[in-house]
Amino acid sequence: MRRVIVLVVLLMVMPASAAHATELDELLTRGHEASYSAEQVISCSTPDGVRDALVRIDQVGGELRVSSTVTDDVELTAGAGDWALSRGGGVVAEAAVDGAQTKSAPLYTVEDGGAVEYLGRAALAYLLIRDGEPRAELVVDDETGAVVEAVTLTVDKEVYCERRFVSLETEIPEIDDAVPGEATATPSSVESSILPDEISGFERLDQYEDEDGFRFAYYSDGFFSFALFETPTAVVVPEAATVELESGTYIRSFTAGQVTYVWETRDGGMALVGDLPPDMHPAVLDAMPHPEDPGLFRRWWRALFG
Amino acid sequence: MTHPSELISAYLDGELTPAERTTLLHHLAACGRCTSDLEQIQRVRSAVRSLPLLELPEGIVPEADRVVVPLRHQKGLWAGVAAAVVVAVIAVAALITPEPGSVSIDDLNSRFGARASLDPAFGPAKVVPPFVGSE
Repeated sequence: MRRVIVLVVLLMVMPASAAHATELDELLTRGHEASYSAEQVISCSTPDGVRDALVRIDQVGGELRVSSTVTDDVELTAGAGDWALSRGGGVVAEAAVDGAQTKSAPLYTVEDGGAVEYLGRAALAYLLIRDGEPRAELVVDDETGAVVEAVTLTVDKEVYCERRFVSLETEIPEIDDAVPGEATATPSSVESSILPDEISGFERLDQYEDEDGFRFAYYSDGFFSFALFETPTAVVVPEAATVELESGTYIRSFTAGQVTYVWETRDGGMALVGDLPPDMHPAVLDAMPHPEDPGLFRRWWRALFG
Repeated sequence: MTHPSELISAYLDGELTPAERTTLLHHLAACGRCTSDLEQIQRVRSAVRSLPLLELPEGIVPEADRVVVPLRHQKGLWAGVAAAVVVAVIAVAALITPEPGSVSIDDLNSRFGARASLDPAFGPAKVVPPFVGSE
């Protein structure tokens, strides 16, 4: 029920779009609770090249499991504040958070795209608009509420990421419990933060700290979101590129649907992980502590004492 | 066998009498432990000597403004021992300090993913596959 209230607040700005926002909210809430299996194609056109994937999605009771269509070796389970990555049958990374703030100021208006047919099923199309610019096209299955198609756009109306179901089965899938891992990150919510409250329409909703030395803040504009980390040690980023922005030099890595930036400041390592389109990156990064060489002594000190 | 360890530093400082020097060299020829000690002290001294010399800013130590005495020109047992102790402390600290673990992308993703799963917009439109994408 809370999600219903939250999304209504999120998306309802103008009376003309309020009815559509409510309708979309109800569909998405139904989508959270629905049970189904699907295959989804993800394709993202990033500044560093195309990132794509074909995944299998199984959802039961709000828990969503993502796996490869090729191998059973890697699985991701997420939902209701829990996240776990399994490789070879065992959990290799997991985290659990509870309590969450929601965005207070609505940024998106919802336009009705009308009734459509998707995979031979009745569906409804919606357009999410921020600052007068279309930012996402959603197609929602009428029966289940599942988002069967989501296309996110840059400010120039170019496609950033496309996600499309290529199959959908509404039978209840079987989800096995993953073998628990040894380490579970349980970040605790903290009140204070030196990070800005708002960046380019992204509101800092909450911040966390855990025993591993991670501190991070979660930002959302109501649809896109990112987390800003203060990391205890250097971050290892596979297949990364070095990019120069006005605010400095960053290590950047795109995967299908997500971007990661890593940099160092005089006070430690920082990283940004999120799903925001590339045109939003420079303004967001510029508002964060800029990259800065920590100096030889600080590197040596961190190497010795973390 | 007794080990004349006190003679080793003095030997390196050139402070042994000819008789003491002969005694020590004979002992070293037959004693691996003392030979090893000698080599270790020599390595520590080399490390100390390779450190850059820094001049104090004027005025911090009034006496230092008049005479600057480079460490490597000092002779004597205590200077060598002090330097050896400093280097040894640093080396031991480096050895016993646990290697700081690096942060992996999975570490970041787990926390972001857990928090994002509480987001009202979470669902198939937000899921990120845990596999590396293709070019």
